[in-house]
Amino acid sequence: MNALAAALVALAALTLVKATPLIFAALGGVLSERSGVVNIGLEGIMIGGAFTAVCVSGATGSPLLGALAGVVAGALLAALLAFVATRLAFDQIVAGTGLNIVALGGAAFGLVLVFGQPGASREVPAFGQTGEGVLTVLAFVLAGALALFLNGTPWGLRVRACGENPRAAAAAGIDPLRTRFWSVVAGGAIASLGGVYLSLAELDLYSDGMTAGRGFIALAAVIFGRWTPFGATGAALFFGFFSALQYTLQRAGIPSELMQALPYLAALVALAGLAGRVRAPASDGIPYIADASR
Amino acid sequence: MAAFFRLRIVRDLLIALVVVFGVGSIAMLLAHVSPIDGFAALFDGAFGTTSEFAETLVSATALLFPALGIALAFRAGLFNIGAEGQLVLGGLAAGVAGVFVPGPPVVSIVVTLVAGAAAGGVWGGIAGWLKARFGANEVIATLMLNVVAALFATYAVDGPLHFATANEGETPLLAPTAWLPTIVPDTRLTIAILIALAVAVALRFVFNRTVFGFELRAAGEAPEAARRAGIDLRRIALLAMTYSGAIAGLGGATLVTGVLHRFNTGLSPGYGFVAIAVALVGNLEPLWICVAAFAFGILQNGALSMQAEANVPRDVINVVEGLVIIALAGRRYVASRRST
Repeated sequence: MNALAAALVALAALTLVKATPLIFAALGGVLSERSGVVNIGLEGIMIGGAFTAVCVSGATGSPLLGALAGVVAGALLAALLAFVATRLAFDQIVAGTGLNIVALGGAAFGLVLVFGQPGASREVPAFGQTGEGVLTVLAFVLAGALALFLNGTPWGLRVRACGENPRAAAAAGIDPLRTRFWSVVAGGAIASLGGVYLSLAELDLYSDGMTAGRGFIALAAVIFGRWTPFGATGAALFFGFFSALQYTLQRAGIPSELMQALPYLAALVALAGLAGRVRAPASDGIPYIADASR
Repeated sequence: MAAFFRLRIVRDLLIALVVVFGVGSIAMLLAHVSPIDGFAALFDGAFGTTSEFAETLVSATALLFPALGIALAFRAGLFNIGAEGQLVLGGLAAGVAGVFVPGPPVVSIVVTLVAGAAAGGVWGGIAGWLKARFGANEVIATLMLNVVAALFATYAVDGPLHFATANEGETPLLAPTAWLPTIVPDTRLTIAILIALAVAVALRFVFNRTVFGFELRAAGEAPEAARRAGIDLRRIALLAMTYSGAIAGLGGATLVTGVLHRFNTGLSPGYGFVAIAVALVGNLEPLWICVAAFAFGILQNGALSMQAEANVPRDVINVVEGLVIIALAGRRYVASRRST
């Protein structure tokens, strides 16, 4: 009995470890998409956050400064996407796809430049277990704060208005381009914490491909969670649980690929509306162009 | 002359060149390498010898197939981000079919290629069906299907489709009768490039001269008008995604029968994603895409010697390719995109 209880506690703890980066990334995605910008680049933003955090922590010896730098890097990458998606009205999907490729290549290039070796960085000062817990708590706090922001503040209302009907929002005196820009940037800052968690809390280094598609799982969590902060957090926990289960079962010899595929298959089911109606913000993904004649 | 520069294709090519040489030079300077030396090594690696040039064409071919598939879907306003998964499963199907069909050369080659195209077509078709039947956003669907395809391939070759004669993560080496014939002896340049060019010519014909091509464009540029004119948008979504996937899958099959002679889970270093850049630079026009694929083939292959000879990490090329994609995201591909 005690052994079972211990196993369950271990599984719950591992679920939180696996879910935390997904929660950060999914919350970033929710904020961005509620303002009307689809952020396919979450994966790249996590990579940028994870890599920059390791570089700065290695250089300064302070994981806290590393984390801050990681957040700034994530915000800057998001700002690139936000700029082309708002001011230039470029296609968000295409630009986001490009962003992922840039970040992956940039981090691989940076590894050689900064650490003098491909593949992985050296170990750097990291947060350890305490920091891991703090970041997990922060993820849940951010979920609550974002829900409060979106549903309980005038700014949140403006963000949602731009995601649903930017033209009406503009008529009401809101600047959709500016609102979307800053929502994407703030979303990028939040999502990059997911990368920081991976490189400075769960581990203490950056290695190529360490995000392993988590940005895409986070996109799935956004949809599965119906574009709400708590829904996305719940979905991230759900996916985190299966990820933890997979690690546990792997030791029992069950093929892990099928378990790993589960979040993606669940997202496809959710996307098809088989798990209840799914409705994205009405203007999600559609560039806003002020001149109505175009 | 001014009119020439207003041509979209010319403008896009100029943008791409500025990004490649501008960002490439900055990255080389960061790596303490003179851009002249860096690019010299790159072009030397791409063109220096017959075998190096052949290898550049091999890279170009690997990009050309998925880029053509992507162009077909994009024309219909469908964002097929899933060429990577379609290509991988096409390769897997070809690798497995090739083991089971050790017939005479022509037969086994045709069977493996058809198997690859069919598998890619099914994988693309799933996203098309989800879109047509449930209105599911094809971007997210193909992104998810990419990961599922990679996981499935790994599971399959180490699980139910594992052969005693194969290493981990691979199918067995195909019999030489199933290998695509080479064009230049002692290189990996096979008739795959001719197949790819034939597909490009065929697509150009389909786009410009057939009812289906017109329906594709109508569905992409003015879906509402197309619907009112009696075009079945669901049918277009299903067919376009299926054909798009089939072309990418065919590409995966040619990598197996022409280059590696077996399926390997590392078959594609992201060809399906770089191909998006190729399709965009080629302006979704099949013949321009051939030119763009050649240009990106130079980058992909030249990057290897740039790394070896000039000490510039080849990942620079990925940064450049990603930035090209972002810089060319300006075209409004979908008249009124509906999310999910």
